[in-house]
Amino acid sequence: MFAHLMLNIEETVSMILFGIGFTTLLLHPNLIKKIIGMNIMDTAVYLFLAAKGYIAGRMVPIMSDGIQDASAYINPVPSGLVLTGIVVSVSTTALMLALTIRLYERYGSLNLDRILILVKEEGKT
Amino acid sequence: MLMLLAVFVPILAGVLVLALKNLKENRGVLTGCFTAVLAAEAVLVILAVMGGGSVTLWKLTDTITLGLKIDKVGSLFAVLTSVMWLLAGIHSTSYMKHEHDEQRFYGFYLIVVGVLAGLDFSADLITMYVFYEMMTLTSLPLVLHELTKEAIHAGLKYLFYSVAGAFLALFGIFFLANVCGNLQFTAGGVVTPDMIAGKEGLLLFAVFAMIVGFGTKAGMFPLHGWLPTAHPVAPAPASAVLSGVITKAGVIAIIRVVYFIVGPVMIRGTWVQYAWMVLALLTVFMGSMLAYREKVMKKRFAYSTVSQVSYVLFGLSLLEPTAFVGALCHVVFHSVIKDALFLFAGAVIVRTGWTRIEQLRGLGRIMPKALAFYTLAALALIGIPPASGFVSKWYLATGSLASGTGALGFIGPVILLISALLTAGYLLPIMIQGYFPGQDFDGQEIKERGLEGKEPEPAMLVPIGILGIASLLLGCFPGPLIAFARSVAEMVL
Amino acid sequence: MSFVQNFPFFSIIIAMFSGIVSAVISGKKARNLSIFAIGVTTCMSAAVLAYTWKTGESYTYMMGHFPAPWGNEIRAGVLEGLTALMFGVVMLLSVMGGLDHTEKDVEGSKLNLFYIMIDLMLSSLLALVYTNDLFTAYVFVEINTIAGCGLIMIRQWGRSLSAAIRYMVMSSLGSGLFLIGLSLLYDVTGQLLMIPAKEAVAQLAATDAYVIPMLVILAVISVGLAIKSGLYPFHYWIPDTYAYATPAASAVLSGLVSKGYIFLLIKILYRVMSPEHLMESYTLDVLYWFGIAGMMMGSIHAIQEKDTGRMIAYSSVAQIGYIYMGIGLGTQAGTTAAIFHIFSHGATKALLFISAVGLYEASGGERDYLSLRGAGYRNPLAAIGFTVGAMSMVGFPMLSGFISKLLFATSAFENTGKLLPTLIALAISTTLNAVYFLRLVISLYRPEKRKVDEVHRDSWNLRLAVVCFILLNLVLGLFSQPIVRAIGQGLIMFS
Repeated sequence: MFAHLMLNIEETVSMILFGIGFTTLLLHPNLIKKIIGMNIMDTAVYLFLAAKGYIAGRMVPIMSDGIQDASAYINPVPSGLVLTGIVVSVSTTALMLALTIRLYERYGSLNLDRILILVKEEGKT
Repeated sequence: MLMLLAVFVPILAGVLVLALKNLKENRGVLTGCFTAVLAAEAVLVILAVMGGGSVTLWKLTDTITLGLKIDKVGSLFAVLTSVMWLLAGIHSTSYMKHEHDEQRFYGFYLIVVGVLAGLDFSADLITMYVFYEMMTLTSLPLVLHELTKEAIHAGLKYLFYSVAGAFLALFGIFFLANVCGNLQFTAGGVVTPDMIAGKEGLLLFAVFAMIVGFGTKAGMFPLHGWLPTAHPVAPAPASAVLSGVITKAGVIAIIRVVYFIVGPVMIRGTWVQYAWMVLALLTVFMGSMLAYREKVMKKRFAYSTVSQVSYVLFGLSLLEPTAFVGALCHVVFHSVIKDALFLFAGAVIVRTGWTRIEQLRGLGRIMPKALAFYTLAALALIGIPPASGFVSKWYLATGSLASGTGALGFIGPVILLISALLTAGYLLPIMIQGYFPGQDFDGQEIKERGLEGKEPEPAMLVPIGILGIASLLLGCFPGPLIAFARSVAEMVL
Repeated sequence: MSFVQNFPFFSIIIAMFSGIVSAVISGKKARNLSIFAIGVTTCMSAAVLAYTWKTGESYTYMMGHFPAPWGNEIRAGVLEGLTALMFGVVMLLSVMGGLDHTEKDVEGSKLNLFYIMIDLMLSSLLALVYTNDLFTAYVFVEINTIAGCGLIMIRQWGRSLSAAIRYMVMSSLGSGLFLIGLSLLYDVTGQLLMIPAKEAVAQLAATDAYVIPMLVILAVISVGLAIKSGLYPFHYWIPDTYAYATPAASAVLSGLVSKGYIFLLIKILYRVMSPEHLMESYTLDVLYWFGIAGMMMGSIHAIQEKDTGRMIAYSSVAQIGYIYMGIGLGTQAGTTAAIFHIFSHGATKALLFISAVGLYEASGGERDYLSLRGAGYRNPLAAIGFTVGAMSMVGFPMLSGFISKLLFATSAFENTGKLLPTLIALAISTTLNAVYFLRLVISLYRPEKRKVDEVHRDSWNLRLAVVCFILLNLVLGLFSQPIVRAIGQGLIMFS
């Protein structure tokens, strides 16, 4: 069992990271830490993808020295996915940060539970 | 074609009445048109019934069509409905003078009769369900009419019971739609044993759900609670038709389900039949008991409806031709009688403002004629020969004994008898106290208010009179009705 | 190749492009552009529908001329065309109906941003409908989330900001799960396009390899999309989100956005997973039972709500439960019913949100249902619209809701194990729906003490939208048969 995990160390690590990120995003009340959690979660997926695309002893999939043979390069698709994914996660992060700033300016807190209480009180008056 | 007119003319007229604002100032025109439409409706229904035929309205899906068809059961209910509606409508032209928002009342009153005609003429279960739901919604404003807290409470109760009942029924319709594919009403039922092979238990459950669901409108236990609350708060003519006619919509729905879709064969001797019988008998007894203890006149009549409509349901639950004849006759008789009673109550309320039984002492000095008609109707409901109630109860009792349902078949007539005694107990005191108030009654209030000898206005008295006399005559000459009911019973059983 | 075949791609691009252009033009122009774009894409979807209906088969559209295992594909069939058409129509009417409120709720200088979000939303919905590539689906899921979040937060109000952040958090969780699911799938099968992936999955299933990973993939993708579409018990973000956004946004969010994810889920279930796999994995059963739980709990929460907007939002939770129940039946008829309910609910819920606005306005901006007393006399058309919507939700015959309930009930008969629970759940939840919707309808028509001084008149666009929505509902209720047949046809073409 443990040997299996060690053999696929990248996958193991990325799954652990995914779990950490997911839990943080779900459970942590602090908005900034939630965003960090989201980034950890996304990054874990990218690590996973990159590890899957990597083939030991091969080159980056950028054509160099005129080598046409595909077997000289690693799988380019995961790298492409990771790049796209990074773009997506950057924009999501930006949006969430912007929202966080808005909420902080309004309620002076980063704690989501506290903000929700304040919102409720605001609604009552 | 005629039946389309019978359905849509009153609905359109009702919508028109609701939409036209300036009718309010023109009371004469309003009531004139209103009565004319009702009379036309009665004629249309009778002509449509004589014409027969069927028509397809709409193909909802490949297997479900909406259509109208005229058959015997539908004709009986439709004619009954339109005539009752006309009589109560005439009464209402006088009664509603003393009420607010006449126009709204008339509008919805007209719409409901059209919807009911559609319900009676429905050719299949889905069409009937559509009209059934429409009936609930369009009759709601009649209950809500007073817009007092009490009326709104009653209206909501009415609505929630009806909706819960209708969806219980819908559950069954969904089931049947799949099992049979074809939900056209066919005498004797469309379900065959091989259709439901392996689903017998579910079928019985679905039928039971539909009986209880549609039984809501008929005030059957356990979903009877709305009836005594909702009927009395409506204006008297509306209570009359709610109690006398709309409860019968539940009855026809159950007849359609049991005798025209599922077929009596499928449920004879099953737990459904026995459970249904028990529920009906329970309601008969309980309704009478509660009516006996009730002190408010209209509420007493409403409880009486709970009990009497379950006579009909009991008759249907026996799945036996004689009892079926009794049930159909009782539908007609109870309609006539209950309309008379509620219209009488309306007349009393308008003239004196009295609502409680104990206030009615000496009523004979005020409106002896109306009270006489009341007495006729009351005697008929109790079932004293030769008045009408006797005939139907006789058939119900003989049918019950012949039905071969074991102990319940014998307990049935006993409970009917007890309930008849209770009926006498709750209806006759009004008459006795009215004519013979006793030595200590000085009639001071009557004299002071100058009410002596003040019969209700003709528009009220005439319908009460017609209904009162009809309740007697129908009992003396029940031949044609019984022959008709027999022919229906032969078809379905 | 027929010119019409380009339309799916064109419509995505048009919507996206008009979003980009809107960034540099004024709010009014952005509005017109947005309405124009929605109109054009709707027409294109209709053309696609007509074309695929005529040819009787779906077609694949290669992006950039790379063949199957590498390229990016769009696939259009009857079902895709129909769904895109419905989404377009509902979107158009929602935007039209909420026009005035949008201008009131959104700062003038930011009006064009609102329409950017609408355009992006449209393009991502269309892409979710048409795409045949899993990773493209992920990207558009994220775009959809961002656009949705923008639509919520554009109303600068404490409640909508907090709703937006909650929406964002839940959506990110869902997207994360979806992403890891598709990465795992890519890992196991080496494919991102749906059709080759299906072949690979079938091969794996045949050799009994990777059973547990496949189970995990299925579970993770389903849960991810279920979170995003607000299936009970992941519904906590729904009420605030739908209730406190500006009306057009509420209508679009509740009517369409969650439906886009559900459509994607159906697509993955049918086009990637093999039926045997689905049956063995119990995923469908789990979805089914959560759907039923949602039907009950959503209605119960709605009954407890006093705020009309939140009540309608909780009713969405219940309706999404219906859809998942249909999917969970696992038969083609069940999925047909679910898709029909997607349309029916989209049309009805948007109608409810839009007409509720008219009622608030006629009641001095009050939203709880007691304050709406007598609003039926103050704003007759909106009240009629609301009544029709409520009746349809309750399942009144002749309206769309009845047909979808009928379809659910009918489809349950093909799955004997789930027959009774489905029928009972339908009956109970219908009654519960009736309780809160009819309560509101009655209170609309209850005369109240303060006199009706004047009948409130809405702007023409709101009235037009309400009338169109009512007609749409009637059409779905009365002419359901061709639509149902088209869905069935589309599902056959689907896989």
